[in-house]
Amino acid sequence: MNTFPSSTYFSAPPDWGWLIVFYFFFGGLAGGCYFIAALIDLFGRPEDRPLARLGYYIAFPCVLLSGVLLTLDLNRPLRFWHMLIESNTFQPMFKLWSPMSVGSWALLIFGIFSLVSFLGALAEDGRIQSPAWRKVRPPGMLNGVIVVLGGLVGFYVAGYTGVLLAVTNRPIWSDTPLLGMLFVVSAASISAALMILLAHRSKWTMPGIGALHRLDAWVVVLEFLVLIAVMISLGPVFRAWVNAWGVLLFLGVIVLGMVIPSALYWRRQWLGDRNVTTAAALVLVGGFILRLVIVFSAQGV
Amino acid sequence: MADSDCVVVMGSNMAENHPVAFRWPMKAKTEHGAKIIHVDPRFTRTSAVADIYAPVRAGSDIAFLGGVINYVINSEKWNKDPFFKSFVVNYTNAATIINEDFKDAEDLDGVFSGLAPAKGGVPEWPFNGAINQYDGATWQYAREKSGAAAAKPELKPGEGFAPLVASLVRPPVLKDETLKNPRCVFQIVKRHFARYTPETVEKATGCPKETFLKVAETILANSGADRTTSFAYAVAWTQHTYGVQIIGACALLQLLLGNIGRPGAGVMALRGHASIQGSTDVPTLYHSIQGYLNAPSALRKHDTLQDYIATETIPTGYWANMPKFAVSYLKSMYGEAATKENQFGWDWHPKILGDHSHMAMFVAMNAGKVKGMFCVGQNPATSLNAKLDRAALRKLEWLVVKDNWLTETANFWKNAPEVKNGEVKTADIKTEVFYLPATQVAELEGTFTNTQRLLQFHHKAAEAPGDCRSDTLFYYDLGKRLKKLYANSTAPRDEGFKNLVWDYEHEDESERKKGEPSALKILKEINGFFTDDPARHCAGFGELKDDGSTTCASWIYSGVYPAAGKLLADRRTPDPPGKPGAQLNWGWAWPANRRVMYNRASSDPDGKPWSERKKWVWWDAAAKKWVGYDVPDYIGTKPPNDKPKPGAAGMDALPGTAPFIMRPDGQGWLYVPGGLVDGPLPTHYEPVESPVNNLLYKQQTSPVYKHWKDPANELAKVGDPKFPYVITTYRLTEHYLAGAMSRWLPWLTELQPELFVEISPELAQEKGIKNLDWCKISSPRTVIRAKALVTRRMQPFKIDGKVIHQVGMPWHWGYEGLSKGDVVNELTSLIADPNVSMHEAKAFVCNVEKA
Amino acid sequence: MAEPMGFYTDTTVCIGCKACEVACKEWNQLPSTNGGVNTLSGDSYDNTRRLDGIHWRHVKFIEQFTEDRKDGHWLLMSDVCKHCVQAPCLEVCPTGAIVRTEFDSVVIQSDACNGCRDCISACPFGVIEVNPASGTAQKCTLCYDRLQGGMEPACSQACPTQSIQFGTIRELHGRAQKRVAQLHEAGEKRAYLYGADEKTLGGLNSFYLLVDKPEVYGLPPDPKMPTRNLASASWFSALGAVVVGLMGIINFRNRGAGAQDHEERP
Ligand SMILES: Nc1nc2c(c(=O)[nH]1)N[C@H]1C(S)=C(S)[C@@H](COP(=O)(O)OP(=O)(O)OC[C@H]3O[C@@H](n4cnc5c(=O)[nH]c(N)nc54)[C@H](O)[C@@H]3O)O[C@H]1N2
Ligand SMILES: Nc1nc2c(c(=O)[nH]1)N[C@H]1C(S)=C(S)[C@@H](COP(=O)(O)OP(=O)(O)OC[C@H]3O[C@@H](n4cnc5c(=O)[nH]c(N)nc54)[C@H](O)[C@@H]3O)O[C@H]1N2
Ligand code: SF4
Ligand code: SF4
Ligand code: SF4
Ligand code: SF4
Ligand code: SF4
Ligand SMILES: [Mo]
Repeated sequence: MNTFPSSTYFSAPPDWGWLIVFYFFFGGLAGGCYFIAALIDLFGRPEDRPLARLGYYIAFPCVLLSGVLLTLDLNRPLRFWHMLIESNTFQPMFKLWSPMSVGSWALLIFGIFSLVSFLGALAEDGRIQSPAWRKVRPPGMLNGVIVVLGGLVGFYVAGYTGVLLAVTNRPIWSDTPLLGMLFVVSAASISAALMILLAHRSKWTMPGIGALHRLDAWVVVLEFLVLIAVMISLGPVFRAWVNAWGVLLFLGVIVLGMVIPSALYWRRQWLGDRNVTTAAALVLVGGFILRLVIVFSAQGV
Repeated sequence: MADSDCVVVMGSNMAENHPVAFRWPMKAKTEHGAKIIHVDPRFTRTSAVADIYAPVRAGSDIAFLGGVINYVINSEKWNKDPFFKSFVVNYTNAATIINEDFKDAEDLDGVFSGLAPAKGGVPEWPFNGAINQYDGATWQYAREKSGAAAAKPELKPGEGFAPLVASLVRPPVLKDETLKNPRCVFQIVKRHFARYTPETVEKATGCPKETFLKVAETILANSGADRTTSFAYAVAWTQHTYGVQIIGACALLQLLLGNIGRPGAGVMALRGHASIQGSTDVPTLYHSIQGYLNAPSALRKHDTLQDYIATETIPTGYWANMPKFAVSYLKSMYGEAATKENQFGWDWHPKILGDHSHMAMFVAMNAGKVKGMFCVGQNPATSLNAKLDRAALRKLEWLVVKDNWLTETANFWKNAPEVKNGEVKTADIKTEVFYLPATQVAELEGTFTNTQRLLQFHHKAAEAPGDCRSDTLFYYDLGKRLKKLYANSTAPRDEGFKNLVWDYEHEDESERKKGEPSALKILKEINGFFTDDPARHCAGFGELKDDGSTTCASWIYSGVYPAAGKLLADRRTPDPPGKPGAQLNWGWAWPANRRVMYNRASSDPDGKPWSERKKWVWWDAAAKKWVGYDVPDYIGTKPPNDKPKPGAAGMDALPGTAPFIMRPDGQGWLYVPGGLVDGPLPTHYEPVESPVNNLLYKQQTSPVYKHWKDPANELAKVGDPKFPYVITTYRLTEHYLAGAMSRWLPWLTELQPELFVEISPELAQEKGIKNLDWCKISSPRTVIRAKALVTRRMQPFKIDGKVIHQVGMPWHWGYEGLSKGDVVNELTSLIADPNVSMHEAKAFVCNVEKA
Repeated sequence: MAEPMGFYTDTTVCIGCKACEVACKEWNQLPSTNGGVNTLSGDSYDNTRRLDGIHWRHVKFIEQFTEDRKDGHWLLMSDVCKHCVQAPCLEVCPTGAIVRTEFDSVVIQSDACNGCRDCISACPFGVIEVNPASGTAQKCTLCYDRLQGGMEPACSQACPTQSIQFGTIRELHGRAQKRVAQLHEAGEKRAYLYGADEKTLGGLNSFYLLVDKPEVYGLPPDPKMPTRNLASASWFSALGAVVVGLMGIINFRNRGAGAQDHEERP
């Protein structure tokens, strides 16, 4: 009888699959983009406002998509509302200590914030003619409050998924407290990356873009450090990654999604024009693979 | 068994096959730390909870038990402890002296005196499978010389058969209570088993000497005045060509140890099919009419009832009452028509021609001797040498299958392997097959008789669906139609049908309309009643008479239904917890509601309990009767110091110290002078198909086993290199017998989904077989396929220094049902024990190859 | 609340007959693996393999034999939901479908469950799975319906050897300790109780008498509450957010660099 690295090895996999991987990815983008947009709104220059709007444009559809993905993953999708309302008593259903419960609420609230900011952005762009919605954009006290709160909830949505995994009894997931942190940081990196890509597509040249590059470059490094921390914190359970998943994690996430992009960010000339966009694209890919590996590898054991 | 201090499960996988009964050994284990021992070729579910597991090669049980007997006889404890001496001298035939012309297996290297080639039997029935047979004349007790037995008196009308019985009494036997006489049973037994040393046991059985000794020590340590050991066996002892002798060896051992007739003692035959005990009491057995009375036979002097009684009655002991049971039985058959004048219809009663057991009947069927078959509650298409059995079915004109499912037998003409592979064409099968759906047990009322002879009445719980009808309805209706058919016949052979009592009309209107007979009326006929006052039930077999004034279909059941509205089998009152008791108010056990048979042996010769702890039945000197927790299995007022009356018949011929009242001498038989056709003492033989030579005697196999010779029934030679492995077949908890009762049920098939062959890693490696590989298993009869289950629960045996592999297969599968698989009985052969015609599916040879 | 009820399972008298497994299926009318058309697992006599949505009881067969067979054990154990006093599954369930009953047992209300499967990953014993028939997470209910009707659970009632004993936890603890003592006396020194103490999730309302390490029986040596990670994980995430936030602020504030950046471009 071989010995087990952790008591978590006796639990059963919940069969969270692709739907969840995509949800983690888009949830991350939604939260991350909103958060960055909020930062730009609050600290950026006026010229950068399009960038902020870009963030809101990405955030809202991603939240929507997240909600859909989550619901589809339920074995009884029509009962999605049971997460929010106790089905026999019709009282609100809220468990502070259950990440999935809090997360569901967070998703709902964040949905509202991102919708508001989304409409605001549209109005500012003049795509919808509504002076009223125009008003929810900064500057202004109320607007400040909206983006601050929205940004925080957004980042919660981006990060709670990691906490949710930690609050189980599955190997890897619940053998480290750092997954939430990893997901938060990764959310920032992929969001920045996506914004960079889209900004470049529309040939924008506002200064904020440079800031984005640097931000992403830094965050990718930070993400790398957190990932190493995760591996160390796993201790003996790290064994669970001594397999194909481990290889994918190394090549797909570390090499492809972190090392190469960082190199590209710091050594600009390599690919000339394509340099940054390639880096950003790779960061996105890496961010996706990261979630994929974490979701699936823990259910393999 | 809950009272046992040691339970030896040998020849059975009790936990697997009798899980509910196994609660008692487990109770003994958890409540007073009883030791559980399992002796089996495989490490099984029983072994898993046993304190000692002793591996033995299939077929070597007599060598093992003989070893224990030898160990006990020579042990210090057995020779010092007065209990054993007292029990053996008083309660067994140890002191009895045997004829000087008796020759033991010791003298003739494995056979006894009196062996000769078999006589064929009657020409009408050449299907007895016998090869040799013994004449047991030399095996008898030595008796005092005295004038030849009294000439047979002419019976005067008016008086019963008592004088005839009295005339059968023989002179007293010679004894030596010091057990020193070289011809006394004890000395013969001691010599006979002297060669069964621990070393020999290890060589012949493959059981390590230390393990064997541990078993022997544990059994001995848990036997005596205040400790008892019980044995539990089932078909792993019976399914051998010397099965009866294995059981005899165990009885011998238990008698030596004083483990019979006492609480927590005994030799427990774990019966098989639900109520199979009942079906041998009120028999479906061909050789017994009822209550273990021999069937009228064309092979013995049974021309008249008087001849039958003269031939079959044991004049001393309780069997002296046999005429009463026989006459009451004939009255139950032919009622009013049975009179003294016509010998109670003796001539109407069918007589057997020879061996009519399962295998003999199928051989006859295959020879075209059988026109039709009612297959009710059996699945012969999967039985011994299944291919030959199915060939026999094809020879039938008609076959009626009455079952709950469309079994392999019901579909043998359609889905059997030989039909599927084109060997046989359905079109060529002329047998007309009728299928009648049967009810399940919960859909009718009646009694079950289980292992401990306990009758329990069960009430109808549900209506049977659709066209399902009970078996009683079927036979009742069939009987009615046949009576109608023969009503006007003048042929003498049809008199029986014409006079047969056949009136079980149901009391309940709606049931009667359906044609369902009354279970209670049938039970009343079995229990017996008085012919002059049919409303008066017999209170017990003590009331039966041989003058036609009583009727009783099975004497041993007399008393279960002592009065209308008083059905003792329906009782469900347990004893209060804590106090010792025999649960006398739970159901009803034959005979006479006695729970422990021969329980007179539970107290010493003076009638005092052997010990406080093992108190059961004892003599109350003040009240001048036997009392105790159980119903005394004795004449209630016969005092311990009662002396036998010279020349007397019946119980008067026995002393007050003779517990075994069904034996002519009232004693437990260490040595069996009569009743067995294969020898008075257990002797180790090899199975007919064996890879090794008999290490104990020159005689390889039982000299008198049965073999039905047929090209489709070839046997492997000893040590045949083509079939090097010992194979045994057995059961799984998850399935039931041929599988009709389990392989149709998803909840069970998911638990044991496929047929497998259990082999040791050692053999697997030798054969390059991996776990779950498909394998071919072959015997001289056929080849079948199964998946390999490689497990260390199986182990190779070292037999006389040579490695012998043991493989095993559960035999539950067939070609019908939700879970299908090959029929393991394609491998087995038609050979049998000469006493009871039981097959040898527990030990034969095979080969295993990767498919 | 009635007295806490549950199971004491003495694995040393289990004969692996699976009566408990079948009785459970019969009472709860649970479907069979692939309609009963199953395949041989090759793992001893265990062909249902694990507890899941359609197997609320499962009998384990563990073969332990030395090569020379001198030492051999076939450990048999009937596994089931432990009805933990602090139940991880109940704790994480976001819909409140999992409740604690008056018998201190843990029950999943199928009508409330939406199949999010969070409980599956939370149960340290791998007890819960989705029952395809209902599309909801299911497991042993401690026969809640029978208990309410004053009956004992189907499985324990079916158990022929009293390997599964049902009763009040207090009484069962007493019985179990006696049995352990008896076994120690008889020389079975390895016997011990698993889950009878508060240390394991506040105590298991279905606890076991074992004669080898928990792992051998497929049981976690020290099952933990999933929420053990809640605080730490949350704080670390927050920290992550703060750091990223600061990085953002620095970058978007640090205009010089930002401008320069631009001018650099040819
Ligand atoms: N679940 C279930 N229960 C049943 C049945 C069933 O089919 N399924 N059948 C019922 C019937 S009809 C009967 S007759 C009984 C039979 O009850 P058992 O006799 O207990 O049944 P088997 O499994 O045939 O054989 C028991 C054991 O004998 C071992 N064995 C084989 N050969 C030998 C040998 O030569 N010596 C010794 N000492 N052991 C040997 C086998 O390894 C096996 O473990 O069970 C009854 N109960
Ligand atoms: N190789 C090998 N062969 C063996 C054995 C072995 O150990 N090894 N064991 C032998 C033993 S001990 C036995 S008992 C035999 C058993 O062999 P069989 O008796 O031929 O097999 P069963 O499956 O018991 O057949 C009983 C049938 O009765 C049906 N049935 C059940 N209840 C009722 C009812 O109320 N009415 C009617 N009409 N039918 C009913 C069932 O569906 C089933 O089809 O097998 C023997 N064969
Ligand atoms: S199947 Fe019936 S007879 Fe056999 S053990 Fe179970 S309950 Fe007893
Ligand atoms: S064992 Fe698992 S399913 Fe049962 S109560 Fe504990 S956590 Fe819940
Ligand atoms: S699957 Fe059902 S029971 Fe389990 S956590 Fe989700 S809602 Fe609760
Ligand atoms: S308690 Fe009831 S539900 Fe739980 S395992 Fe036993 S039978 Fe099944
Ligand atoms: S019913 Fe009892 S003995 Fe049988 S497997 Fe279940 S727990 Fe073990
Ligand atoms: Mo049987």
